[in-house]
Amino acid sequence: MSVTSSPEPGTAADRATRRPRAWPAGLDSRRRREAALGYLFIAPLVLWLVATILWPLAASVHLSLLDVRLIGTQGSFIGLDNYIRVLTDDRFWAAIGRSGIWILGNAVLQTVLAFSAALVLAQLFPGVRVARTLVILSWIVPTVVAVIFWRFLLNASGGGLINPLLIELGLTDDPVGFFSSGGSAMTSLIVINSWRWFPFITVILLAALLRVPSDLYEAAAIDGATAVQRFRYITVPMLQPTLFVVGLIGTLLSFNVFDIIWLITAGGPSSDTTTAPVMIYETAFKRFRLSIAAAMSVVTALILVAFALVFIRFAQPKEMG
Amino acid sequence: MTMTRTSVLAGAATALALTALSAPALAQTELLIWHMEQPPHRVERIQSLLDAFNAANPDITVRQEPQNWGEIYAKAPAAVAAGNAPDLLFAIPDFTPLLKQLGAVQPVDAIVAMLDEAHGFYPAALEPYAYDGHVWAVPLYNMAVSLWYHRPMLEAAGIAPPTTWDALRAAAEALTGDGVYGIGLPANKHLYTDQTTYALMVNNGASALYDADGSIRFDTPETQGALAFYDELAAFSPPDIASWTWGEAEACFASRACAMILQFTVITTFETQTDGTPDQLGVAAIPAAEGVADPGTIAYANGVMLLTDDPAKHDAAAEFLSFLMTPENYGRFLNMEPGLFLPVTETGAEAESFWSDPVAVAYRSQIETMLENSRNGRLFGFTDGNIFPSIAAISAQNLISQATQRVVLGDEDPADAAAEVQEMMEDAIE
Amino acid sequence: MKRSPGTAIARTLVLAMLTLFIVVPFYWVVAGSFRAPAEIIAREVIWFPQSVTFEHYENLLRQSPFPTYLLNSLIVAAGTMLATVVVSTLAAYGFYRLRFPGREWLFRATLLAYAFPGVLLIVPMYGMMSGLGLIDNLLSLIIINVTFAAPFAVWMMKVFFQTIPKELEEVAELDGATRLQVLTRILLPLAAPGVAAIGIFAFVMSWTEYMFASILILSDGLRTLPVGLAGIIGQYQIDWGLLLAGATLVTVPVVVLFTLIGRYFIAGMTAGAVK
Repeated sequence: MSVTSSPEPGTAADRATRRPRAWPAGLDSRRRREAALGYLFIAPLVLWLVATILWPLAASVHLSLLDVRLIGTQGSFIGLDNYIRVLTDDRFWAAIGRSGIWILGNAVLQTVLAFSAALVLAQLFPGVRVARTLVILSWIVPTVVAVIFWRFLLNASGGGLINPLLIELGLTDDPVGFFSSGGSAMTSLIVINSWRWFPFITVILLAALLRVPSDLYEAAAIDGATAVQRFRYITVPMLQPTLFVVGLIGTLLSFNVFDIIWLITAGGPSSDTTTAPVMIYETAFKRFRLSIAAAMSVVTALILVAFALVFIRFAQPKEMG
Repeated sequence: MTMTRTSVLAGAATALALTALSAPALAQTELLIWHMEQPPHRVERIQSLLDAFNAANPDITVRQEPQNWGEIYAKAPAAVAAGNAPDLLFAIPDFTPLLKQLGAVQPVDAIVAMLDEAHGFYPAALEPYAYDGHVWAVPLYNMAVSLWYHRPMLEAAGIAPPTTWDALRAAAEALTGDGVYGIGLPANKHLYTDQTTYALMVNNGASALYDADGSIRFDTPETQGALAFYDELAAFSPPDIASWTWGEAEACFASRACAMILQFTVITTFETQTDGTPDQLGVAAIPAAEGVADPGTIAYANGVMLLTDDPAKHDAAAEFLSFLMTPENYGRFLNMEPGLFLPVTETGAEAESFWSDPVAVAYRSQIETMLENSRNGRLFGFTDGNIFPSIAAISAQNLISQATQRVVLGDEDPADAAAEVQEMMEDAIE
Repeated sequence: MKRSPGTAIARTLVLAMLTLFIVVPFYWVVAGSFRAPAEIIAREVIWFPQSVTFEHYENLLRQSPFPTYLLNSLIVAAGTMLATVVVSTLAAYGFYRLRFPGREWLFRATLLAYAFPGVLLIVPMYGMMSGLGLIDNLLSLIIINVTFAAPFAVWMMKVFFQTIPKELEEVAELDGATRLQVLTRILLPLAAPGVAAIGIFAFVMSWTEYMFASILILSDGLRTLPVGLAGIIGQYQIDWGLLLAGATLVTVPVVVLFTLIGRYFIAGMTAGAVK
């Protein structure tokens, strides 16, 4: 199967290196000029990120070596003590574990929802344009509004929709308390967060799907490939570069989701929905242990970077040709 | 404030000229207030008081910037550290030690003494702000938890308003059924659950959280008893109490799905969201366990802290607060949320401006009961004069509610839950 | 693509699921905002409002400076959109068309911007904005929002550039056009749908941001919609009617935006598509 024409990242960069232009003489100086121009073009972005991410990150690393408790107070240097505390704290690792469940749950649910929605919306049928616009609705809603939505919908004591509906359908006799056990609280939060994010992934996948040349499918159909085979051998490989970036960024983004959990359960019941970001926030602003929270976030960031490197190493699309 | 209206206007008109001609008395003093009474109608009411004050005091301009309780624990310390804190900041008792640690809070002993002489503060309102040799905030209004019930539902079941734990349990059980829950008690990791749990603890003799030496005394038979009783009552509560805040409890009560709840007030909700008449709304003190010597409830005396050491601003703040606490203004201030905020002064409790609000007229007997309950109010960490700044970390993390969650949702033994949370509290104050 | 009854059934199922999961919640909230208070907290399902009232909207607009919040949100979102488009387009062009040492490495490093927990950026960010005198200034929110919108926008933009035949640029270069001219005169017009897409992406990221807006803005007159809305959630009461009206009003401007230009977002995202 020839997919060299795939207009996707990765391959494009390769294409640029593999198909050098017929440079005239003076190649070296031209290359140098091109490099300088390249740095010039990316400079605004890089400087922006250095100022707003790297600098605060450095400030956090500094903070993590002190013993500051409350914002605004001074601390003294205590070396790696905070790191030792964090790394030997069972509660921190439990929170990291919950974050693992959180990203896994979100990844599975959002992948299923987004894939099925994108595959349907990629087809042409009456009303598809309206459907493509409607599907985006829950992504454009601010978290605070999403929280209002779901607190209202899941209410069991006056108002609400889900509980009266379940009762009318005879699925349950008594209203369900969606946040009253650790398991169901985590599940409900994952559903709510997925509700908020899957439309965006749907659109990205939809875009990638529509870029797959339709003659590939036609050829495969003539060869007698089934729908499942076409999905497995055409769609998935063609989507791989997109899935790679969405998988990487989606995982990092959903790991760091904080507000929706905080506003709905505050990490409870007990600490069953206390993921790493929730614990960091609580440690900094509720337990007033700012430096320990800084150490926690540095450790967390390192774990995420390690994850990203492993992900890049093993999931990056291979060179195609 | 002895100026007449005309002299005020004349003063305002010539202020600029006079300032230029060296009249320091008319130099403008600006006061910025942060408060957390963010609902729009409260902001509006406060603004109308500010407008009145500013008009009467041309040399002072008071401005408000409403904030949110959700962020203020992070925002206020950050603002203090960065030097853009307000001059006056509203507080509840366990917020004050936090700002005091930053060295930002000024003693207000003189202002409090002056106001006390004129209006007579209730001692229970002053107590949580008086420690380390000074008073750290001027009490402004009180809120206390009471037991609210639907009178017709109790009457239909032939039940008298409960005053003891046994009666409360029996009532909750008898009222439960047919889509109605006897009593709505929260089990969220939230301040509301802290409050309802502590309300029961107080009525089982477990009101002190600290010993005199600052060590934690949470894991006691009295606390365990309160947790066990809470668990019994929660069996007659709706299934979604794990995500309840105050609002859900009120909604449950207003929709008559809950026959009783523990709450600061339900008056406004009852008035606007039900077709009930005032005489159908019952309110009583929190029932006490048998033989408890000193029953009571949980109460929050809200106050205002002074964060500036500028003497001119200090004077302006004194001027503003005496304006606010004057009976004809104070009632209007309290009634920014009618039927919720209670006076903290003798003159305020009798103020015509307080009782003349239409809501207060219709629900006068309920508000009188609330006021009476508030006099027996206590707050965890602020009892018996044993006050330690570490309480901020205990209340900010809602540790009491976590004990409740363990017992009610996690089916843990009250003794285990109390021991576990005692440990968390010790960790928090370490 | 070949049609089979199987796909039709699967499609119906998926569309039904989407309706249930997205349309019904929106309907319930919007419908609730027009119900009388007692009907909102009714314990049975009333699909069609029995009582239509505008009182919640009247309360909301009378009591809160909703138009101010709206304006602030629009300013921040527009600023974020503009800055993101400029920064990301330049960077995407640099990463895609120009060769320089460390290119791939730097591109991946920008994506790692998402690896650091945002909650702990609050403290250093507050210090930094305070040092710049940008506390209580909408510019601080624009700066932050671009940080979280730009890296992904760069990736999206890069994909669009790749769909444009390189030969067009080469011709222009032979004619003596500079790189910037090539970018603005040749590439951007062709990638216009892509620019629209990253613009909308940045707009929505900014529109929904809550955490920094709640900490960095001090005065009511500069609040954005989500923070302003959080403010009307009373502490001790829930006025569901007011909240549902607020939720609806926050959603409406973006929905309008989407019905007007939403197809460009979809179209932009799918630029270069074969069908």
